[in-house]
Parts: sequence; C-alpha cells; structure tokens
Amino acid sequence: MKSTVEVCGLSKTFYDENRGEVRAVDGIDFECSPGEIFGLLGANGAGKTTALRVLATILKPSGGTATLMGHSVVAEPEQVRRSLGFNSSTTALYPRLTARETLEFFARINGVPEERLRDRIDRLVQRFGLSEYQHARVDKLSQGMKQKVSIARTVAHDPPVLIFDEPTVGLDVLNAIEMLGVIAECRAEGKTILFSTHIMSEAEKLCDRIAIIHRGKIHACDTLANLRARTGEHYLEHIFVHYVQPSSKLEVPGKGGSELASTKDSTLEKDPG
Amino acid sequence: MQVQGGVFHWGDWLGVLLHQSGHFGCKDHPEPVNFRPKRKCPSPLDQVKDEQTNKPRSSLPAPEDRLPEIPLKTKWSPAGLRWREVKILYAREMRAALREKAIVFNSILLPIFLYPFIMWAAFTGIIYVQGQTKGFVSRIVAGDWPKGHPGLRHLFEHDDRIQLLQDTNSQAGVDAKILDGRVDARVEFPRSEFSEGIGRGNFEVHVTYNESRERSEMAQRHIRELTSEYRQKWLRREALARGVSAAEWQQFNLESRNIASKKQVGAFVLSLMLPVLFVVMVAVGCFYPAVDATAGERERNTWESLMSTGASRVSILTAKYLYVASLGAMAGTLNLVAMLSTVKSILAPLIDKTGSGIEFSVPLSAVPVLMLAALLMAGLVAAGMMIFASFARTFKEGQAMITPFYLLVILPLMFLQVPGITFTVPLALVPVVNVTLMVRAAVTGSFPLLPLLITVLVSIGLIGVCVRLAAHVLKFEDVMLGSYNGSLVKFLKEGALRRRPAAGASKASL
Repeated sequence: MKSTVEVCGLSKTFYDENRGEVRAVDGIDFECSPGEIFGLLGANGAGKTTALRVLATILKPSGGTATLMGHSVVAEPEQVRRSLGFNSSTTALYPRLTARETLEFFARINGVPEERLRDRIDRLVQRFGLSEYQHARVDKLSQGMKQKVSIARTVAHDPPVLIFDEPTVGLDVLNAIEMLGVIAECRAEGKTILFSTHIMSEAEKLCDRIAIIHRGKIHACDTLANLRARTGEHYLEHIFVHYVQPSSKLEVPGKGGSELASTKDSTLEKDPG
Repeated sequence: MQVQGGVFHWGDWLGVLLHQSGHFGCKDHPEPVNFRPKRKCPSPLDQVKDEQTNKPRSSLPAPEDRLPEIPLKTKWSPAGLRWREVKILYAREMRAALREKAIVFNSILLPIFLYPFIMWAAFTGIIYVQGQTKGFVSRIVAGDWPKGHPGLRHLFEHDDRIQLLQDTNSQAGVDAKILDGRVDARVEFPRSEFSEGIGRGNFEVHVTYNESRERSEMAQRHIRELTSEYRQKWLRREALARGVSAAEWQQFNLESRNIASKKQVGAFVLSLMLPVLFVVMVAVGCFYPAVDATAGERERNTWESLMSTGASRVSILTAKYLYVASLGAMAGTLNLVAMLSTVKSILAPLIDKTGSGIEFSVPLSAVPVLMLAALLMAGLVAAGMMIFASFARTFKEGQAMITPFYLLVILPLMFLQVPGITFTVPLALVPVVNVTLMVRAAVTGSFPLLPLLITVLVSIGLIGVCVRLAAHVLKFEDVMLGSYNGSLVKFLKEGALRRRPAAGASKASL
C-alpha cells in the first residue's frame, strides 16, 4: 500500500541564547499508510511536537524531506494543510464563536464546498453529540465539550491524514476514552493517523506501529509485537527504557523494582523543542 | 511484581479507572477491581465491524461522503492570495470582534458617543460656571476717593456686583485678607503727578488683587471696566464743555466688517476640531482589533489552529489586515458623523444664544473625500499597528507594543493647530499630516487637486510598504509563534540583524 506520509532525514534546529544550536528533531525517518495509527512515543521535550509541527507546516524543517499525500511540506505547504487535520493539546478554539460556527469556519477554510457544508456540519454535530450545544459559544462549553468540538473541527473537512499531538492532555478519563475512540474510528475509515503521546498505555492500546523518539532521534520504529520480540520485553515501558536508556538501572514495576525510578528518570527530562 | 496472579502494568491504570467509572466493567460483565480484567468488555477503542462486509465500521461520515476538493488556484491569486479564504477569515474575525465588548466599545460606541458626550458636558459645564460667576458679588476695599470725581464713587456704590467694605487695616492687613480670600480686591486713587494745570484733578487707579483666585481676578476686571467706563464718560463730557466734538477729539475710529457667511465660519470651526478627533478615533478604532488579531490569537492559543488550516499565509494576513483597517475606518466615519450631528444639535443652539449665529454644515462634495481619508488613515494605522503587535504574545504585550506607535500617529496633530498651516504639496508628502489636512480642506469645501493626489499616492505607497513589512516580519517563524516576548529590540538583535547559525533555525522557546 502506498505511503501517505513519508519522512526522510527530517531535522529541525532551534537557536537558543545559552546553548546555541539545538537539534530538536535530528534526522528522523518513517512512513505511514492509510488505515494506520502511527504513534510517536517519547518523553516531554523529546521532539514529538516539533516533528508534528513540521509535518503540519507550522514550522519549516532545517533539513530532510517530508511529504503528506505526495505533497512536500516545504514546496506545497497549502496542499499539505488541506490534506491533514491537526489537533494538539495546545491548540484552542475561538471562544467567541458558537460550536457550529467553529465547525463551519474550519470546514469552509479547509475547502468544503458551500453546497455540502450544511449537511456535513449536521452530521458532525450529530456524531459528536453536539446538537444541544451547537449554538452555545465555545467559551461557555465544558472542557469535554470543547474537546469534542476540537476533534470535530479537525475532521470537518474529511482529511486523509490526521495528526493528534498529545490529544488527551488535560482531559478526564471519560473524555480521554471518547477521544481515543474517535481516533480509532478514524483509522477504521482508512485515514492515516499520526499520534504522539508520552502515555504508554495509550500507545499500547491504540497504535499499529510505534516510533520511540528521544532527544530528537527515533530509536526504534515497529509494531508492538516486533518491538517485544526484538527487546525481549513485554511491556511498553520496559521497551521504551530499553531503547532510550539501555545502560540505566531504571526500575519499573513488574521488572523487580517497587519504585518508578531509582536513577535519574530521563523520560521526564526536559529537552528543547 | 505479581498481583493477584497477574503482572502489574502501569498501562492498566487506565483500565482500572475505566472499570471504576463503569466504562469497562459494565453491569453485564462485572469484573473485580483488578489490574487486568480477565474478560474483555467492549471498548470504545475497539473497531466496530460491519455485519455484512466484516470490515471496520465508523460512525464518522462514510467514505462515499468524501468531499470534493476546491482547487487552490483561482482566477486571480497573486502570491497565494485567495479571496474566498480572505472572505471566510474576514467574516470570522468580524463576527468574533462584534461579540467582544472591548472592541465594540472602542471601535463603535466610543466614536459615536465619546466626543458628543464630552462636548455636551464641556458646554454645559461652561454655561454652569458662567452662571455661577455672574452671580458673584466682589468684595472690595476702597481707599480715599478722588476729589472732584463724585460720579466715580457713585458708580461703585450703586453697582449690584460690588460690595464696598470699610477696612481700617494697614496695606499688609488687607493684602493678607485678599490672599486668603476674605476680600477680593483693594482699589486706591492716589493723585497723579499730572494733576496740575490742564490735568487738574487727575488721579491714578491702583488695584490690588490675587490672580490665583478666580473671584479676585473677576473683581479686578470689574474695577477696570467701571473705571474705564467712567473715564470715557468724563472725557466726553469735558471735551464737550470745551467745545470739542467726539469726532474731532477721537482722531480715528476703528470699524471692522466680517464678510464670512455663517456657514463659512462654521466650516472653519469644524476644520479645527474634526480632523484631529478623526485621526484619534481611527487610531483608537484600530487599536484593539490589531492586538486581538495578532497577540490575541496567541494568547488564546488559536494561532496554531489557524496556521494549520488550508488557508495561505497571505490570505490570513490580508484578512486580518482588512479586519483591523475596516474597524478603524468605521470608527473614523462614525466619529465624523457623530461629531457633525453633535455640533448641529448641541453646539449650534448654544452659540446662537450668544448672538454669533454660526451655521455648521459640511458640503456634500466633501463626503467622498472624507470617506477616502478614513480608508487611507485606517489602512496606514492598521498596517503599522499590526507590525508592532506581531511581536507580542499576550494582549498586554500587544497594548504596550502599539502604544508608542499610537502616540507617534497623533503627535503631528499638535502642530496642525498652529495658525496658517494649509494643505500644500510639501505637507502632502508627510504621512498622517497629509490625510488630516485633506480632511480639514474637505470640511471647508476646498479640494486642491495636486496635494490631494499626492496624499493618496503617498498613503497608498506607505500602506503597501507597511503591509509588505508585516508579511515579511511574519515570515520569521519565531515571530509567528511569538518567541520574542513582545520585544521588537530583541527581534532586531537576534532575528533580523544577526545571521542565523543554520538555515531554518529558530528560537528554542517554542
């Protein structure tokens, strides 16, 4: 099956006053196919968000290439953006628009024709259970409802590629489950999904393939089964530690230790980007 | 770690929590609270299979519902500008703005009500103060009255607005009373050094008063008026007694004739007032929208949502610019209309009472020029403000960044109050000043073609430069993401002047 997302040697360099050049993303490669959830698993500051922002054309890459649906993120950024829906825990909605107006705006600006708009929005409103609140201003909605509107606006223009950057951050369990359910549904529809998280259980349950990213580099990229086979570890935490700190004495529950980490926990270390 | 026959797994916390919340361990499949449920309940994450095709089924719109793509290229799309996108973005900005109290207040309500209210309040205040001061009685201590001038004493004694006080205190004692306000003035009539011969009986009038007290100042003025009036009468009477007529005695007589019509005088008064307020209101009208469209987006975290849509950067910038400029132009136009109706309905009747009879009106031919001026001024101010606001991350930073530019815009207006400044070609080359003078000329019904043309060209050129500059500034992804914390200096130092270590490198504080 032809890849919908192709990333080759992608890097992104930032300039920091104190540290000089910092490579937030350092030559990463991966490919994604339709109907696949591709997980980027990494600690905070590992470079996940930067990589996804580059793919969403919000940032320009410093090196390498990346294409979405055959469009280069550098040469054809607008075509790329039309082919994707980007949802991040840091993105917000316009507080002074109603839920319906928000969906209409994002659908229109992403190219949904006027004659199809009403029907499309009606379906989304129905699907996400927004009927009762569709005419309420976004700033009056609860966090869970806002998140529903946010997901609905991400898929409003029916993009073939979806990027979810830590989408469950700040959500309660029920809303997080709902969010993950929608992502699973999008996979069922044949969409390509890039999903970044630092929550192991989410990646384990949801992702078809997982890329372990640390300090801007991808250390491993495969299915969970293959990663297990390759490392001899069963749980994703152990696999993660195996790749990002192979020499550490990090103790994880289930691996003989009772504390989370007896050494410095590198997964919680803050990296640039 | 073995727990109830299973291996503890951090990921199972989610399952445990869901079980507790009744999401996984449902009523039909009760499970003990365990780290790993033995029987699996249907999960929202599980793919629902279609019974007929046995393929995963989605509750999202079906694949056949795929939306047709709208082509990116339109008939006229220079450098990524697409008017369909601009229209959608502009409509969103306006819709949101009209629901924002600060913008509605500053860009719509303030231009309509502020200056009319100030004008009404000022004139009402002036009339009230005048009424109050007219009723004042001046408390005056008079010295020895001049001999041979009983009429003068009579004049003072029979004036309703004067209360003559007897005071035997020394000069210093009276001065102290004047200083603390118990007495308003002291008047003395010493003999003049020319009081012999033809000037027999001449005297001087010495008034002591306190200029820091309004009441004392009024008493001094009143004494002057009375003594002048007495002198004129006395001189006329003495001249007649000597057989000299008033015409012979006066040497020359001054008469002036105002040939300006009431309308022209009204236009002159309007030309002094309107242009200044117009520029201030355009700037105020642009202020909040400019911050809202740039720093406001970042503060609300909607910037990233917008930047990840299919709209081109040029379309986004154009829509935002048009939004700010149109609110500025609206504020300026509303203010002009409000001011005109106020001077007609409030100022004119008040002036009529004084007998001056000024007629306030603007020639119809000025309307298109005024509209053009509103567009040019708003276009220029909006572009300038957006450049500065682009560096801000928060609303507060945005306001701080724009304020110096705002002051820069209204500063030249101070010089326009200097008498004699007219709409000439050299002044038509000066931004802001040219549009202000254009408004002033239009209000008075004057339309000098060459300065008008130069003003339009200069303004359009400057708007073009500012918009290009704003677009250039926003090309820096650091600026776009607000990494400079609202500091233009920091941007110039780090972003523009210093060479980047590597192509595409940006600041780390994302």
